Amino acid sequence: MTKLRVLLLSLLGIWLAAPPLAAQDYPTRPVRLIIPFPPGGSNDVVGRLVASNLGERLGKQVIVENRAGAGGVIGTEIAANAAPDGYTLLVISLAHAVNPWLYPLKYDPIKAFTPIAVLATGPNVLVVHPSLPVNSVRDLVALARQKPGEVQYASAGIGSFQHLGAELFKLMAGVNLLHVPFKGGGPAMIDVVGGHSKVMFSSLVQTTPNIKAGKLKPLGVGGVKRNPVLPDVPTIAEGGVADYEAVNWWGLVAPAGTPPQIVERIYKAVAEVQAAPSVKQQFATQGADTLQMGTAEFGAFMQTEMSKWGRVVKEAKIKAE
Amino acid sequence: MDLLGNLVLGFGVALSLQNLLYCFIGVLVGTLIGVLPGIGPLATIAMLLPITFSVPPVAALIMLAGIYYGAQYGGSTTAILVNLPGETSSVVTCIDGYQMARQGRAGPALAVAALGSFFAGTVGTLLIALAGPPLAEFALSFAAPEYFSLMLMGLVAAAVLAQGDMAKSLAMVVLGLLLGIVGTDVNSGIARFSFGVTELTDGIGFVVVAVGVFAIGEIISNLGDATRRTVETAKVTHLFPTREDIRRSIGPVLRGTSLGAFFGVLPGTGPAIASFSSYMLEKKLAADPDRFGRGAIEGVAGPESANNADAQCKFIPMLTLGLPASGVMALMLGALTIQGIQPGPQVMTQRPELFWGLIASMWIGNLMLVILNLPLIGLWVRLLSMPYRLLYPAIMAFSAIGVFSVNNSPLEIYLAALFGVLGLVWMRLGFPLAPLLLGFVLGPMLEENLRRALLQAAGNPMVFVTRPISLVFILATLAILVVMAFPAIRRRQRDIAD
Repeated sequence: MTKLRVLLLSLLGIWLAAPPLAAQDYPTRPVRLIIPFPPGGSNDVVGRLVASNLGERLGKQVIVENRAGAGGVIGTEIAANAAPDGYTLLVISLAHAVNPWLYPLKYDPIKAFTPIAVLATGPNVLVVHPSLPVNSVRDLVALARQKPGEVQYASAGIGSFQHLGAELFKLMAGVNLLHVPFKGGGPAMIDVVGGHSKVMFSSLVQTTPNIKAGKLKPLGVGGVKRNPVLPDVPTIAEGGVADYEAVNWWGLVAPAGTPPQIVERIYKAVAEVQAAPSVKQQFATQGADTLQMGTAEFGAFMQTEMSKWGRVVKEAKIKAE
Repeated sequence: MDLLGNLVLGFGVALSLQNLLYCFIGVLVGTLIGVLPGIGPLATIAMLLPITFSVPPVAALIMLAGIYYGAQYGGSTTAILVNLPGETSSVVTCIDGYQMARQGRAGPALAVAALGSFFAGTVGTLLIALAGPPLAEFALSFAAPEYFSLMLMGLVAAAVLAQGDMAKSLAMVVLGLLLGIVGTDVNSGIARFSFGVTELTDGIGFVVVAVGVFAIGEIISNLGDATRRTVETAKVTHLFPTREDIRRSIGPVLRGTSLGAFFGVLPGTGPAIASFSSYMLEKKLAADPDRFGRGAIEGVAGPESANNADAQCKFIPMLTLGLPASGVMALMLGALTIQGIQPGPQVMTQRPELFWGLIASMWIGNLMLVILNLPLIGLWVRLLSMPYRLLYPAIMAFSAIGVFSVNNSPLEIYLAALFGVLGLVWMRLGFPLAPLLLGFVLGPMLEENLRRALLQAAGNPMVFVTRPISLVFILATLAILVVMAFPAIRRRQRDIAD
């Protein structure tokens, strides 16, 4: 027993005392990729897709670790406190730019991290149950003006992408819809397909099967351009709510202070992964597009997103007091 | 409808050597993770998902499905042997299964669990094949008011779980409801009773409470009492159920299967509800309800059938509507999408070989599971003859690993330990544990659906009686109350007459 403990402790000691290896040798051991959401969600799907391909290109395995909880805060906090040696990476999404406005955080969402790369983006899509007598964004706006606060929309919960996309719509179109929150996107979608809540600003991937089956009617997509998955569906901006844009994004960051050479190395590997046709196609089936952005550009993008959604959280009074 | 032709097509696909192999791998992995507590099908499927990209879609789906329902078989094993629920759904099995093991009847308990599960799996598979789409449409007519009334009925029926002291049972239900409140409020986003601990904003995990009060509490209790530690090895009489065991199990298996199929079709119900309902029903129907909690085989046969039927029928909304009823089903949908198959109603018509192949493989997989599990019974039972000083550290270690692996969260291990101590205290004071867990499961769903129903109905409580399905549950709830009140009334009349 004591012998074993001594052995384990000394092994741990060796591991801890190992001198920081030169950045050019990176990586010399497997890389940990923290996904701050449970298996099965978009963050997880995107993260795992990148992990398996990134591992091949870096020459060491990239091990996915789901540290879910508190809307992504738990996993993000673990990554923020990890050693900035390139062996801990974090997959973030839109939630990263929203959480600071909703929860007390023990990390700075911008300063605690070194941005590496945007992995992909995917717009939302505004769908209604076929029983709702509207055929366009304009119809919906008119109906909502006629019956303020009566038309109900379902979301995956307070602060979710589905919730924020709808609140942004309400602010920009100047209408009032009633928010019905659920625990996750799946139950919310079931309620809308069942015709109980009538409207949802859902992620494209989750919604496409039911649109194709005629169970849900698409009114508009939330991107700046139409989406190839639904080429006949106009954008919400085209539909009359000018400049409306609600796009979820997934990105890769490392703890602040990660050596620039290592960040560069990972950035290049990610760019290669993104360029691979098989990866592009797998993203496409998820309703997402790969997007390449320089590390500095990504940092600025995070700032913009934070202020954009911060305004929505404040103006829509989403934060509970 | 050309059911026969479809089934022939399905078996043709499922019986190919490759698909049989994937099916076997799936159920084998499922059994293993089912035996290990905490390590559930969700995490396993997420990990194996990338591997399935290179496998043909049918084979991938067959394997992933096998893991899922295989876990339901395996979950009961540790519940019966050492009071450690391997999966959420097998918590109820602990109550009587473990008592049977203590009486040297682990073998019959395991055998009945496996055979009941096989029967339920067969029925579940048939249901998907015969009536998948209409059942899914029925499930869609359930919204917040229906779910609330259904849960209310369950909670009222929970009084049946009372063992002896009614006041103590009710106290435990209420305590369960309160524990279930911890976490973020769905409607406002406010964290309740989290005391600033980030992990608690997601609430207390079911596995944490169940493993704590059952497995860890039991171990502490055994350690404090030398005579209890050797009981299991004393009198292992027979490995397989007697004629009497089988006779007692038939009814519970049939009723459990029906209940499980009902709850399985509804996407808004968790895994433990089907097995809890079955347990309550059997206890209510039993001529001598006092045997429950003391090793009644009905308490194993019913819930185990219910949870397997539930697991099987959870495929209905996923396959016929492309809607996920649980995290595992969401992952399966993900697997389909990545394979380039658009899930949804059109899968049945556009990819019949996939749909029917999967259904046929499920039945084959269930058969494999029985063949796999029955011979293992002897081995499992022999495991119990291990000296307790070796067995209990092993149980503790597996409990800790299991609890940790749900969310990779160290805090949950501490919480499980805390619940272990609480479980011991409750056991010693004669407070029953099952009502606590039922309150814990139902409480959050009751609250969520009550508030959602009122929100969607603009605050009008009449919504619960104006919607027909909801009304049926409300009336049934009243009926249960009347039936329960009756013996009390009669007793009082007799008292007056005396």
